[in-house]
Amino acid sequence: MSAPQQGQLEALGLSATCADVVRHLWDYLDDQLTPEGAARLNAHMASCTTCRGYSDYQSCFLEAVAKLRAQLDAPESLRAKLAEGLKSEGCSCWGEVTKVKSNE
Amino acid sequence: MTMLASPPDSPAASTAQRDAEFAREALPWLDDVYRFALSLTRDEADADDVVQETFLRAYRSWHTFIPGTDCRRWLFTICRNVFLRSRERQRPTVDLEDGEQDALAAGSVYAAAREHGYDDLYARLDIGPALREAIDELAEPFRSAVLLVDVEDLSYDSAAEVMGVPIGTVRSRLFRGRRLLQEKLASLATEYGLTPASAEGTR
Repeated sequence: MSAPQQGQLEALGLSATCADVVRHLWDYLDDQLTPEGAARLNAHMASCTTCRGYSDYQSCFLEAVAKLRAQLDAPESLRAKLAEGLKSEGCSCWGEVTKVKSNE
Repeated sequence: MTMLASPPDSPAASTAQRDAEFAREALPWLDDVYRFALSLTRDEADADDVVQETFLRAYRSWHTFIPGTDCRRWLFTICRNVFLRSRERQRPTVDLEDGEQDALAAGSVYAAAREHGYDDLYARLDIGPALREAIDELAEPFRSAVLLVDVEDLSYDSAAEVMGVPIGTVRSRLFRGRRLLQEKLASLATEYGLTPASAEGTR
């Protein structure tokens, strides 16, 4: 693991301890850290408001991205076209295309 | 099953069973596959074609789907292959090993936001429309990584399988994608006057 450039850390206005959080917060939020690593970040964030703020900010961002999933469905015209396609493939379930409810 | 007119082992019965399985397992993912295809192609007509081809291929090769495995992942994999093949363009080969640099850069974006008092931007505003636009503008392969992991909630493992790359590559592509999105949103915040123009130089 390469150390970040000193200039970059200064630009962030962060101590070396906080820099660890910046480097690994996404891994932490994505649940990709070892239990020990996650515990270390937890312990630091319990006492550092700056890092907690950063963690909240990144969580909000990821939640906003995740919300996009609910915002767009396949158009009816595509469903109709796919039903025709499956029908010509001999699929007996072609009628289901326009009826099947989407998984959440 | 026992009420089927054809004996259970007859070709007609197995076809009916296959079709029913396909309808039950694959079709409910149509919206997900459409969203993914639309983001890949950035064009509704192209997305329609890719989705159509994806499901027809899935139907034809349904025998290769392993029951009990993640059907959505299987469909995403087909969808991405259909998309890549539909373009004569070579597969993007940008592989950034260093997700750390992107994580640090995202920290810088936040530091600037905090300094100028809009670090609660994501919580304060509905950034959905701006986000969608920013994702559409992301270059491949970063777009796929963000879509699969952050929008469609696939695990790194699953996304790696869909994209045909190692997990570490998913991570670096994802981090780059998130960083680019956050930089884009920060510059939009400046444009819309949510932040002083002087914040511009901090990207």
